[in-house]
Amino acid sequence: MIPLYRAGDSLLHRMPVGPKFLVIFLAALAASLYRENLWVLLAIWATVLIGFICSGLGLGGFAAQLWRLKWLVVVLVIPQLIFLTPTEAGFNVSRVLAVVLLAALFTLTTATSEILGACERVLRPIDPQLQRVGLSAERISLALSLTIRSVPVILSFYADIREAQRARGMRPSPRATVMPLLVMSLRHAEETAEALAARGVR
Amino acid sequence: MRNIAQMSMFAALVAVLGQLPAIPLAGGVPITLQTLGVMLAGAILGPWRGAGAIALLHLLVAAGLPLLSHGSGGLGVYAGPTAGFALGWIPGAFVVGLIVQASWPLRLWRTILGTVLGGILVVYACGLPVMAYQMGLGLDQAVLLNLAFLPGDAIKAAVAIAVTHSLLRAYPAPFSYARDRVRAASR
Repeated sequence: MIPLYRAGDSLLHRMPVGPKFLVIFLAALAASLYRENLWVLLAIWATVLIGFICSGLGLGGFAAQLWRLKWLVVVLVIPQLIFLTPTEAGFNVSRVLAVVLLAALFTLTTATSEILGACERVLRPIDPQLQRVGLSAERISLALSLTIRSVPVILSFYADIREAQRARGMRPSPRATVMPLLVMSLRHAEETAEALAARGVR
Repeated sequence: MRNIAQMSMFAALVAVLGQLPAIPLAGGVPITLQTLGVMLAGAILGPWRGAGAIALLHLLVAAGLPLLSHGSGGLGVYAGPTAGFALGWIPGAFVVGLIVQASWPLRLWRTILGTVLGGILVVYACGLPVMAYQMGLGLDQAVLLNLAFLPGDAIKAAVAIAVTHSLLRAYPAPFSYARDRVRAASR
């Protein structure tokens, strides 16, 4: 599982998570609210381009991100051209693309661990309120790291199931795959819970 | 502790289901088994843990891990036109769990009702307005666009119902929400 984050040392990389998130959130909000305004749209696109250049990803990185969004473009453009005029379609498609690219810029320049750390810092002060509804910042962090660790485990379960199916000459069907995957995953959850309890995690 | 392990496991399971080679739909738009995982999360873990599992997944996606269908992820997901569908999984799984696990032993009609209502209707009810707004379309036009996905979702609902009831026989331990409710009621 490779995070979408690209390591670097640019201005955007060094910007603290909170303000960076806020700037991008406000820009996206502005783009959605002033949707007919050409200047807002151009400003967002300029921000996106400057952001990519400043973050060291460059125009190559920009093109790579656009290519990742090829399906989105197809899904966006076809119905727009059926239902709306070309000008409206152009506005809508370029607005959605700009906002998605802007958000991608945040993801590309902020390490996952940094975002999760910021999450925990936000949750810490409201810990008493969380505990009233049976949650706690610690438990949420534990659940997040358990999830990350579980993805490769489940992928290896899937590989085992496929191998067993192939050995029996079975064609893969959703049900014949999901059923054993579920049982194996739930058993594994049980074992994980026991292992955690044995280590005194409550 | 068991609850946390189960929620994490299910969050990871939904993520993995989105990466598996999927059934290519006519027209080349690939559909994945990810929403099947959402339905199963609600049906098996019940409303709170089911919705919690999906919320965990969303936290990690927002933090930049490529856990949604075919390696998509990051904040961009929530800025795109399908954001409503993805976020609609949380109330979706909740409603599935609420209806499916309203009684113990589970009843087939309730599983069918819950899976269709929560797994399809609630998700669409969250997804369509966001999509219509983002793309500048009318709600009716957005509905028309998404009709293509309805057969796929119906098949996934059917698989979810069958799998839920098979699991009930094979490994009933995780269905603790419905069991505990009945035990609390009889006390």
